[in-house]
Amino acid sequence: MNLSKIFIGAFLVNNILLMRFIGLCSFFGVSTSMDTSVGMSAAVVFVTMLATWVCWMLWHALLLPFGLGFLRTAVFILVIAGLVQFVEMFLKKYVRGLYSAMGIYLPLITTNCAILAVTFLNVDYGFNLLQATVYALGVGAGYSLAIILFAAVRERLEDSPISPSFRGYPIAFVGASLISLAFLGFANLFGVSI
Amino acid sequence: MTAQRPSRLRYLTNGIIKENPVLILMIGLCPVLATSTSARDALGMSAAASFVLIFSNVVVSLVRKFVQPSIRIPIFIIIISTFVTIIDYVLQAYQPALYRMLGVFVPLIVVNCIILGRAEAFAYGHGVFDSFLDGLGNALGFTLALVILGSLREFFAVGTIFGKTLTPAWYRSAPMLFTIFPPGAFFIIGILKALAVRLKLGK
Amino acid sequence: MNSKAWMTISLLVTCLVAAFALSEVYAVTKPKIEQQKIDATNSALGQVLATAQSFKEVEKESLWYGLDQSGAKTGIVVRSGLRGYGGPVPVLVGLDLAGRIVGIKVASPAEGLKETPGLGLKAMDERFWKQFLGADSTVALKKDGGTVDAISGATITSRAVARGVAQAIRKYSEHLKP
Repeated sequence: MNLSKIFIGAFLVNNILLMRFIGLCSFFGVSTSMDTSVGMSAAVVFVTMLATWVCWMLWHALLLPFGLGFLRTAVFILVIAGLVQFVEMFLKKYVRGLYSAMGIYLPLITTNCAILAVTFLNVDYGFNLLQATVYALGVGAGYSLAIILFAAVRERLEDSPISPSFRGYPIAFVGASLISLAFLGFANLFGVSI
Repeated sequence: MTAQRPSRLRYLTNGIIKENPVLILMIGLCPVLATSTSARDALGMSAAASFVLIFSNVVVSLVRKFVQPSIRIPIFIIIISTFVTIIDYVLQAYQPALYRMLGVFVPLIVVNCIILGRAEAFAYGHGVFDSFLDGLGNALGFTLALVILGSLREFFAVGTIFGKTLTPAWYRSAPMLFTIFPPGAFFIIGILKALAVRLKLGK
Repeated sequence: MNSKAWMTISLLVTCLVAAFALSEVYAVTKPKIEQQKIDATNSALGQVLATAQSFKEVEKESLWYGLDQSGAKTGIVVRSGLRGYGGPVPVLVGLDLAGRIVGIKVASPAEGLKETPGLGLKAMDERFWKQFLGADSTVALKKDGGTVDAISGATITSRAVARGVAQAIRKYSEHLKP
């Protein structure tokens, strides 16, 4: 499977947030400001890469050969929870500034559907380690792109006159609808089908 | 002044309208948009998630006295992922069509904010029956929101609800396909939420 | 009891109970799941080669012989296109012994993969697929000298499908002997 197709697919055509709806909780919660969005993106990319490698290796070295496939859900999510815990401790000790900026969003990464989804899809699609890495990078990039675009929109929305019922979440969803519509235009780009 | 303990019934009804997880609290959205392409699929997804929510609420409540605060999150995760895996394999065996449709969203139930949220916010601090009611209420609220969304999307894009044709042929030959695509999902939920705000459902 | 010891014990007990419960559920559902997979495959194969009563897998997930009641070959089914993510969606092609296409459909992944909902090739209409019936290994898009109209706006995908089908037929044509 062509590596560039995997990347384009994850990044644009099948954008994890806007086309596949995975990772939405954090999407709407974090995108109110550009700073938190950028911070969250970085954290997501980082944790996704680590989680991809650890889970892929665990699957191929341990779960699959010993017929323990049914433990996949539990093992993968525990790995992610552990990694996030580790990242949190690391940041707290060495990059205090980022740690306090991220606040409660850091532990929230554990429940980020996108990361778990990537670890699962790498197995389901039968990727080798290189393909899985590229896929994870593509998803991370796609997540970042979507959330940063959206944060820009939301920051503008703050100052715009919006009718009372629509203020906050409702207009944000309508905005997301329009961005998603734009991304729909990437369908079948370079032959990657949605 | 002593606070009144809310009547038992409150635990159940809170999750349905007043604190509806999807429409008022806006959590657990991932599966909502992806699996609501038709009313039937929405129902299937709600059923699976409800199973996990109710059972994990009950089990967390049962063992809460044995779980120290510092490791409660990993324990919750283990409990929840156990039930997710159970429903995963049960669906694979007995409802393969639904399973294929839900795809990666079945295991994703484990990171559904609603389930972890209720375990932490309620089940860890309340008795078994109350936790059951809370789980049931939230499950019903989740199902309600999902099925409404699924019905709307199916209705506008295909002209049916649960497969029953409800629109004249001229509509069905050129329906509003927009709603079945991702942008449509976002749009409809935005409208629903605006409606909920307008009707002051969360107050 | 020591707090750290208690933490470890409760974690351990939870893991053990969970692992046990899961292995039980797995053992109970496994046979049913295997059967489902076989049924799903046979059902899909039967849709493209109606003359066959049963199927024999000759090449894993790529080639099946269609057999009638007496065990004689009535045709073959080949799978074209790449599997899963991106690229052309896999297509099952039923061929009679003369090498003509008697049935064609998008193969639904038996492993429960979720391709993005309702879009792409799966939602393609019958008019596109009908054009393949009766064709042989020379099948191609009109733009490429053949007879098949591409789906408007999806030329790349349509071409990939046509090419994939033609290639698959050529690749397995030696199996068309009875």
